[in-house]
Amino acid sequence: MKLNSQQILQRLGCLVLCLILFSSCGKHGEHEYHGVTDKIEAEGKHYNGTSISSDKYLEGMDLMEITENGQTFLIPKRKEHIKSFNCKECHSEPLAKLKKGEGKKAHWDIKLKHASELTMNCITCHDGSNMDQLTSLTDQKIDFNNSYNLCSQCHTNQFKDWTGGAHGKRIESWAPPRASMTCVNCHNPHSPSFETRWPARFNTEKIKERK
Amino acid sequence: MSNDSKKWFSLNLNSRKKVSESSCGCGKTSGGCGSHSNQKQPELNEQEFYEAAVDASIGEERSKDGFEQVFDVKMDRRSAFKKLTASLLIGAGAVSTSCSVVAGDETKEKAQIDWEEQFKGNYKLMTNDEKSATVDRLVRSYQLRTGKTISMSSKNAEEDVLFGYAFNISKCQGYMDCVNACVEENNQDRNSQMQYIRIHEMKDGKGLKFDEADDNYYHEVPAEGHFYMGTQCFHCDNPPCIEVCPVQATWREDDGLVVVDYDWCVGCRYCMAACPYDGRRFNWSKPEVPEEQVNHNQHYLGNRMRKKGVVEKCTFCVQRSRAGENPACVEACPTGARIFGNLLDPKSSIRWVLENKKVFRLKEDLGTEPKFWYFMD
Repeated sequence: MKLNSQQILQRLGCLVLCLILFSSCGKHGEHEYHGVTDKIEAEGKHYNGTSISSDKYLEGMDLMEITENGQTFLIPKRKEHIKSFNCKECHSEPLAKLKKGEGKKAHWDIKLKHASELTMNCITCHDGSNMDQLTSLTDQKIDFNNSYNLCSQCHTNQFKDWTGGAHGKRIESWAPPRASMTCVNCHNPHSPSFETRWPARFNTEKIKERK
Repeated sequence: MSNDSKKWFSLNLNSRKKVSESSCGCGKTSGGCGSHSNQKQPELNEQEFYEAAVDASIGEERSKDGFEQVFDVKMDRRSAFKKLTASLLIGAGAVSTSCSVVAGDETKEKAQIDWEEQFKGNYKLMTNDEKSATVDRLVRSYQLRTGKTISMSSKNAEEDVLFGYAFNISKCQGYMDCVNACVEENNQDRNSQMQYIRIHEMKDGKGLKFDEADDNYYHEVPAEGHFYMGTQCFHCDNPPCIEVCPVQATWREDDGLVVVDYDWCVGCRYCMAACPYDGRRFNWSKPEVPEEQVNHNQHYLGNRMRKKGVVEKCTFCVQRSRAGENPACVEACPTGARIFGNLLDPKSSIRWVLENKKVFRLKEDLGTEPKFWYFMD
């Protein structure tokens, strides 16, 4: 059979029409995705923020804004909440004299359980000449409010995860603006690891059910 | 039912008029009997075709409210009488009290609330007005019964929000503070000690073996040579549980939460069988929570009081999360193993975890697409 040019054109036209039809059919499935990852990618593209904010939960908290690793977020201030701050009130005398036991006893309850003695002692973090501030490994001054800078010297992975939001805890709300706990809100800097303890609850009914 | 002029006694049986679309007696609406040939069928555009297709499959459920879904069905006289008797018996008590001259105003109000609650529609199909009406009724009903005032929300899903969750299995220490917080937040039955969250104690180096794991340990934790993995409802994006519900009492909301209308659930437990993650719980008895322990901040789809014979589950604390707060388990976790947030916000913590950590989900091959990821340090 010989096809003339008109027939060919007709058939081509049909093909194009079919293609258009099918592609418009695909539009029905506009909100169907192959997986949730595709959905997040597609629907997150035009994200314009929401009306939900963490403001009302953070109201009245003593927070400060920091920017680390390109992430800007709020952390609780520390200095104003240390009971015996300002340290200079006692530490006006040289350390050697205080160690002799002259004057009031203080910090008797602090036992350093953080790395080995080879790695750390008090003055790894505390500035012997000015107790109101902390000191980095290279003798740079670190404010008590920014104590995370001290921890991040060794705990680099944890620091990276913390700035991203994978390590540590958000305060109250998942919504922006982000407020996160800082290192010392969960870890005691002198004994940072978590203690073993008993679980908060034991399900006695489950035992009965499974008998 | 949403019409204010219609009160509880207005049984509008068969009030919906069936308009016959065909003008001849053949009963068919389109060609076939021969007399339609001169009627030109209007061509459907894409939108109309879509509407028609939906109507053909779930049309009745879309256009009729719950009351009509129940009553406006064709049936023979015998089964009609059977069903009427059953329903009337339920209503008879309510009617007799509300019409009684001796009963007090409160009793009458209670009866009216019961009546309206009995015949309300499926929450999924309700308009916003109907939603707030049922919430108001439930709040009032609770007040009449206990003298306590609760606050109940019917807040809908927010646009541009898709909730997601990440769990750090190297951080969890098995303290179970999350379980405690969950039970208290969500008013779960204290008698049966219902818990949405399970923490599985797994042996190091054995992989994820749930059959060998202990989810009800009681010893000092973390135990040597073990790690802890929490499971709860994963709020799948393709949830098998909602497909099997014969009454559409459970569904996925636009912000990704898989929820249950406890008043529409018939307790068949198909959803529990369909869930591959053991995410759902059933009330075998009437859930009891001591009055002083009841959480008064409630949501219709969340922690409001349930009844006997209905299924419930984790809702990512819808009453908290839709208001911007973290779920109770996230709030309670002392180790920071739980991360929650908006998956559509590129700057959210949950997105950072998904993009920067090595994450996995349970039984990914099932295609359920859980919105609950696990990761390690």
